Amino acid sequence: MAQIITAGVDLGSTYAKVVVMKGTEVVGYAISPTGADHDETAKKTLKRACRIGKVNPERIEYMVSTGYGRRVVSFSDESISEISANATGVEHIARTQNIRTIIDIGGQDTKVIALDDDLKMTKFAMNDKCAAGTGRFLEILARVLKVDLDDMGELSLSSKKPVDITSTCLVFAKSEVATLIFKGEKKEDIIAGIHKAVARRLLGMAKKVGIRDNVFFDGGPARNIGMIAALEAELGRKMIVPPMPQIVTATGAAIIARKRLLKGQ
Amino acid sequence: MIEQFKQWYDKRHVYAREWKERNGGKIVGFFCTYAPEEIFYAFDVLPVRVLGSHEPQDVTEPHIFGMFCPFCRDVLAQGLKGRYDYLDGIMIAQSCLHLRQAFTSWEIHKNPGWSYFLPMPNHVQSKRAIPFLKEEYKLLIEKLEELTGKKITDDDLRRGIKIMNRARQVMKDIYEFRKREAPPITGAESMYMTCAQFFTHATEFAEVAEKVLVELETRKLDRDPGKRIMLVGSENDDIEYINMIEHLGEQESVGCTLVVEDHCTTTRYFWDLVDESIDDPLDAIATRYVNRTACPTKDWPQRTRLKRILELAKDFNVDGAIIVQQKFCDPHETDIPFIRKFLEENDIPTYFLEFDVTVPAGPFAIRTEAFLEQLGMEDDLF
Repeated sequence: MAQIITAGVDLGSTYAKVVVMKGTEVVGYAISPTGADHDETAKKTLKRACRIGKVNPERIEYMVSTGYGRRVVSFSDESISEISANATGVEHIARTQNIRTIIDIGGQDTKVIALDDDLKMTKFAMNDKCAAGTGRFLEILARVLKVDLDDMGELSLSSKKPVDITSTCLVFAKSEVATLIFKGEKKEDIIAGIHKAVARRLLGMAKKVGIRDNVFFDGGPARNIGMIAALEAELGRKMIVPPMPQIVTATGAAIIARKRLLKGQ
Repeated sequence: MIEQFKQWYDKRHVYAREWKERNGGKIVGFFCTYAPEEIFYAFDVLPVRVLGSHEPQDVTEPHIFGMFCPFCRDVLAQGLKGRYDYLDGIMIAQSCLHLRQAFTSWEIHKNPGWSYFLPMPNHVQSKRAIPFLKEEYKLLIEKLEELTGKKITDDDLRRGIKIMNRARQVMKDIYEFRKREAPPITGAESMYMTCAQFFTHATEFAEVAEKVLVELETRKLDRDPGKRIMLVGSENDDIEYINMIEHLGEQESVGCTLVVEDHCTTTRYFWDLVDESIDDPLDAIATRYVNRTACPTKDWPQRTRLKRILELAKDFNVDGAIIVQQKFCDPHETDIPFIRKFLEENDIPTYFLEFDVTVPAGPFAIRTEAFLEQLGMEDDLF
């Protein structure tokens, strides 16, 4: 019997991520910046993921959309919140790794999710009306520092003396960083300070839901090695980071699609 | 019939102006539900509560601190913009400093000619609270005599009590229907009803509400009730938020119905009736306001409200509680950790949201949905 084909579409505020699954295996995925036409972006990203996975889009049996733009994805069968999708994705990817806490840094939302022993979500915290501690925060400060976002991690690791960034409000942090540049602080020290500020903010959120056992870290900023190091330092725990941290939520959506199909049969 | 309440809510000022024209009576705006409306009705004065309008505004900045709650600023904005210019008086019964600031500022800048501060005791758990309040009521009565030029009797007070109790009782009866497995009334509709009480004459309100009560017997809503949600927290007439969460089920895999609340716009306002068997009507009224479900400004040193919240949660069979707080509302903020812990110890999951003048629809939708999904984990859909 042919394996069930499902897809998860995670239309985030910054990037659209699509995962195509055969059975429980990811066969194709694609990521593209969320443009002005969200539905179109999602469609194109899906097409690309299908091409990579060598899957005929028409053979997708069930599709779940998630993320900030989940409701504008006109062609999905169902939409669910990215928090549950993320938790499901982690359950699928890291089932055996004793994970009870998830940190997911997205473009405009940051979440900390607590899991029970069956890896079901029991609690979550999310940043409130403010971009502090989000991917956007890192992105904009990279721009202020004229550093490529992808280079931030490496650069920060060479810091010997991270500066203290007092303000985690993006607007104020921007002016604080500008002041630090004028003061002649080294870029790597400022970047390390930024990572530390984000990590501290995350620690506050994590404490709200409680940190237990191993911590899984995903979302775009989990590609930033300096961010990982800062979180490990603040939380005093090792972060478990998947090879493709951006597609965990889309993977979860595809898994939920599969569960829906199996339940329906 | 139920639409009438939305209309009263939306057109609160039209109603008040028309009422005045019809009856030639006086209207007093009150700022907090500790105002003894019975006494106003005894004088044939219409008491209306001042609520905000949920619109961003720029008139209160010079008068009220930016870190006072959005509700008190929204309330003051209504006064400064002249939306309540038909009022013959304003009054507040002491509850919190933020709202008192809104009252005082209104008194300074838009005084309608009659204003009164009722020092409602904070220590309602004291034995001395009832006799104290009763004496204070006597001073309020003198002040109302000045406003109206009339004297009242105990029978007038008893009439006031009956007017208020009738409206309270019908609301309680309506809430009985929300206990049903498929409630015939949504949380948003119910919120329109409870808030309409603030803007209408209690007798007129009760007449329509009693008809709705009959209607509800056979009313059926064409919607899946989904998870049963309770709202707990500070002043809340954010019907836009309630509408949003009650419509989630149409677009998402999870839906919900708001089945009960603990707010001063809902149960804290009407749940407790005045005991009509108490001989002295002022005693009866004072007893009611001292013993009603407390606002957190008064729920100290014992947190008596926890018991009531749990009773409501159990009686209405709720799946989860969303704890809402007006941003910067310190009294509620102090209570929230205790309430959450208490509910969770009693197997009622909670989630916390901070409200402002307007609702950030996107983030609130995601967070509420994720909470509903969390409640649905046992369904193994995730």
